[in-house]
Amino acid sequence: MFTLPLLISEDIDVMDAALGDFVAVSGSRLALFIDGGGFIVTKQGDAGEMDTATLGALAANSFAATQAISKIIEDQSVTSLYQEGNENSLLILSVGDFGFLAVVFPAEIGVGSVKYYGQEVVTHISRQLTAARARSPEDGLDLSVLNIADATPLFRRRAATP
Amino acid sequence: MALINQATKEIQLKIVYYGPPQGGKTSNLEKVHAEVEVAPDSRGKLTSLATNSDRTLFFDFLPLETTVIRGFKTKFQLFTVPGQVIYNTTRQLVLRGVDGLVFVADSQYEKMEENVQTFANMIQNLETLNQSLDNIPYVLQYNKRDLPNAAPVDYLEYLLNNRDTQVPSFASSAIKGDGVFETLNMITRMLLHKLLTESGRKAA
Repeated sequence: MFTLPLLISEDIDVMDAALGDFVAVSGSRLALFIDGGGFIVTKQGDAGEMDTATLGALAANSFAATQAISKIIEDQSVTSLYQEGNENSLLILSVGDFGFLAVVFPAEIGVGSVKYYGQEVVTHISRQLTAARARSPEDGLDLSVLNIADATPLFRRRAATP
Repeated sequence: MALINQATKEIQLKIVYYGPPQGGKTSNLEKVHAEVEVAPDSRGKLTSLATNSDRTLFFDFLPLETTVIRGFKTKFQLFTVPGQVIYNTTRQLVLRGVDGLVFVADSQYEKMEENVQTFANMIQNLETLNQSLDNIPYVLQYNKRDLPNAAPVDYLEYLLNNRDTQVPSFASSAIKGDGVFETLNMITRMLLHKLLTESGRKAA
């Protein structure tokens, strides 16, 4: 089963625009759209020295663990996860079965406003991905199958000819 | 680290199944969960945090309980780690507190490089936790022996079981259940032996 529909550049442009507007209006530092396996689909903002690949993987891990806990405590579903920090905080919002929006924002900004603006981005991204899925319902992407973090098989040096 | 609770008479031991992606780590736990012969309340639920395509995302977890040491309930916590490169930090988290390791290698010829890299990665991740294979019991499982392109066991031994001390290794086909319980029984025996030896040393 694919984690994402097939995406074209227009889909990415729309998501980038939504994330860019969101970062500007909310005062967040970084916004990432991550698929269910923790792979980053696109991002906007200033990552600085942050290891965003690992951030994406761990955000997906945290969300999966929290969803498992919600089943144990007999709650229906988890839609967001908030990590409060001293310098930077993290908010993860579920984007349906497409993935997550992970937002890194300065701790002095209230999580309420980030969540409020974030929900609009979630709606926007969901709508775009639903349209993408409708374009080609039988096809899709699974970034975990592509194992895109591992570049070793992409290029190999040709053996020297005698 | 093994937890010994004298008040409740419980011992807890953590075993982590490590190996390259799609090598059979999850299949091992699924087989154990489906076919282990213990009292119903001695086998916990298999918790799998996986992606939609059934690839391990965070871990699989299976608690098993038995009374091995008289008077003590022994709880084994079996974990798997996700195999892909991107989840390296996740593997470090799951490895915390590990007592024993099962390295599940994929026997297919084209997976040899991945096997070796993942084994090296396991050693590196243990080092970040101030641990090493010198003080953590481990066994090797050469999985997917049923596939036609499986490399000879001798070759896998040469690649993976070449440290100063050789460890027990098992041929397996986890999806069929072959070798799964033999592997589990050996690592649990090694762990209990270490626990008893260390307890005896402390008592002396």
